[in-house]
Amino acid sequence: MFFRLLVESLVRQRRRKLLAATAILLGTATVTAMLAIGASVGDKLNQDLSSYGANILVTPKTDTLDVVVGGVSIRPATAGSYLREGDLTKLKGIFWRNNILNLSPELPLHVTLTQAQSSQAATVPALGLWFHHTLRYGTESYPMGAPAMHRWWRLQGEWPADSALDQAAIGSALAAQMHIAPGDTVMLNGEPVRITGSVSSGDATERTLLLPLALAQKITGQPDAVRRVDVQALTKPEDALARRNPDSLSPALHDRWYCSPYANSIAYQIQEALPNAQAEPIRRITQGEGTILQRISGLMWLVALAALLAASFAVAASMTTAILERKQEIGLMRALGASQFSVASLFFAETAFLSLLSGALGYLLGSLLAARVGREIFHSTIAFNPVLLPAALGLALLVSIAGGAPSVLRTLGMQPAAVLREDG
Amino acid sequence: MKRARFSLGYIVRRSLVHRRVRSLAALLALTVSAAVATTLLTLYVSLNRQLHQQFRAFGANILLTAPNGSTLPPETLATVRAIAGPESRIVPFAYAVAQTTTGAPIVVAGTDFTAARTMDSWWQVSRWPDAAATTTTVGSPVAAMVGTRAQNFLHSDDFSLTYNGRTLTLHTAATLHTGAAEDSRILISLAAFTAWTGQGASTLEVQASGSAAQVEALLHRLRAALPGVQVHAVRQLVESEGRIVDRTRSLMLSSLVLIALTVGICVLATLTASVLERRRDFAIMKALGSTQHQVALLFLLEAALLALAGAAAGYLLGSLCAFGIGAWNFHATIPPLWQAAPAVLLLNLMVALLAAGLPMRILRTMEPAMLLRGE
Repeated sequence: MFFRLLVESLVRQRRRKLLAATAILLGTATVTAMLAIGASVGDKLNQDLSSYGANILVTPKTDTLDVVVGGVSIRPATAGSYLREGDLTKLKGIFWRNNILNLSPELPLHVTLTQAQSSQAATVPALGLWFHHTLRYGTESYPMGAPAMHRWWRLQGEWPADSALDQAAIGSALAAQMHIAPGDTVMLNGEPVRITGSVSSGDATERTLLLPLALAQKITGQPDAVRRVDVQALTKPEDALARRNPDSLSPALHDRWYCSPYANSIAYQIQEALPNAQAEPIRRITQGEGTILQRISGLMWLVALAALLAASFAVAASMTTAILERKQEIGLMRALGASQFSVASLFFAETAFLSLLSGALGYLLGSLLAARVGREIFHSTIAFNPVLLPAALGLALLVSIAGGAPSVLRTLGMQPAAVLREDG
Repeated sequence: MKRARFSLGYIVRRSLVHRRVRSLAALLALTVSAAVATTLLTLYVSLNRQLHQQFRAFGANILLTAPNGSTLPPETLATVRAIAGPESRIVPFAYAVAQTTTGAPIVVAGTDFTAARTMDSWWQVSRWPDAAATTTTVGSPVAAMVGTRAQNFLHSDDFSLTYNGRTLTLHTAATLHTGAAEDSRILISLAAFTAWTGQGASTLEVQASGSAAQVEALLHRLRAALPGVQVHAVRQLVESEGRIVDRTRSLMLSSLVLIALTVGICVLATLTASVLERRRDFAIMKALGSTQHQVALLFLLEAALLALAGAAAGYLLGSLCAFGIGAWNFHATIPPLWQAAPAVLLLNLMVALLAAGLPMRILRTMEPAMLLRGE
């Protein structure tokens, strides 16, 4: 009898159910979408933030002090120690290898640049770089290099080939000063070199000659040597654990720290992989990124919370109305001898069925919405989050029962005759 | 007779009070919709400003440098401050390469510690020197902030440096760690730097808040006002900032539309149902001789009253919510947006009147007798 009532009510009173179902559907869809966006906005923004470039700097441990003003090395270290280019492969072997997005080794030097036609010569700073290097680790290969690290560099022409010993790119300010254009051939320490492109950067690089690392190593006579490595890693914003001194942590906490992608734990692992290196998070970038990530994710979580509250109220109000509409029905059932318990069970079973069905549909709709928003705004989709399904269903159930219960219980408390007589 | 007892106002009041639960449910729904709309609108309008404010964490976005080796004219700082406005932060830097007692070269920078502290929030400093400590008394060692790398090259906390044959005695007052070039430097106050080297600031780091276009406009004004000074944007920062702010705004806007739509539709459906449910009232009134207009007016008036009350309560609640989010998330004050009030009121009225008006169209065509019989 109970099931027949339930089924008949669901089948016959479709219009009345539609209101409640729509409210639950829209409510769960919004909440699912907002939670999915809130949960993934951090990852998405983290990728945007990677356009700030390097966030970890690797230098040789025993080093003479850098004498750098305004991005230009006043006194390029002639002696001093180097890192080995060949060792960089090891960075793809550390615990957080997949978080290492890019590596850009640098070898600064000074060269004599002679303009071909006018024979105007000058000693200029130069930098050996990877442009489109392929780093091999095991069977995998990863594209690495300076252009991807410095996304704000604007290139006119082409980057030199990494293996070429007769190609170079030139900073735009230096090019203007020396009257060199892409395509020209210049003399570099007496050897002919073709300028493939000119780079504008807004910083000291504009006054520098950019050479393939192999060429720079050949000129300095230091095969395999690099002076510093810029590392771009996907990191987690610093929190209380990350701010503590890793050496003072208990073994369990140290493991947790080691296995979290903080900038300083990744730097620590880089140091482990490269014995003579000192790796440091660049605090300007890591701290700034942390602030931005926290604020924007915080905002999206708060908006998701607002959506949750608003949707809950809207669904609860709809349920209240939907039940009030059926007061007469409750009165009639009671007058025909149904117990309070059986009437309440019937109503709650109906509500539960409705909210689970609409909740599931709402979850689907919400996930689609989130995916669409992700594609539109971040140009990458937001994947279905299965954890949200039970959350969405539980919420739909809780809110609709909480919304309907007061009206049901209040009506059940009244005399059936009074309910039936009451006008609408 | 006692006609006054059945005035429109009386009926509306009785109707709202008598059907308390339903009125409250409708009022609640309208309040929530207004509150959500107010919160999101207020947040959205102030979002640009709040977000750009957050990007101050990255420090200077404009650099002014004197051409090779020279120093900036002393009035540059005042000129830049006048152009960039009081909200921007400016930190002067002067650089010199000095020699330690062992003859090793080391970069010494003169700066304004108070200004650097507010702008360069990522500097990890063991103890910021207070303003009093940075003023030099003749003869006593100069308080220096020593980079963590530079520290390895000094053999004690008290050391001396030579520049152009002039020796300066310094004392390590604090250590500085940034993970970048500053770690290899020694920082002293600009006044002490000038007294020692005879040189003034050669670089001004400026942090201007605002969109990429605003920063670009500021660059042009600075270039025009300061010929001979190299003015350029820190492109790395300016470009990413614009993109992230734009994306966050689009994200907020889609959320705003989605939430407003959901709440709006739910409220509309709820109110429509509660009006439709009163077809018996409608029929009785018509059977007693009311005109179509009188009944419609009654229903619309009720809806409008609820909408008004909901908008007022919702506006207050929403402004409070936005304020709370600002304080909690952005550590900033987000003031109530008065423009949101009429917008929210209009929105609420529209939803409520639509909800009351739709069922009226259905009921109008029906005979009172049929409605009373329950068909």
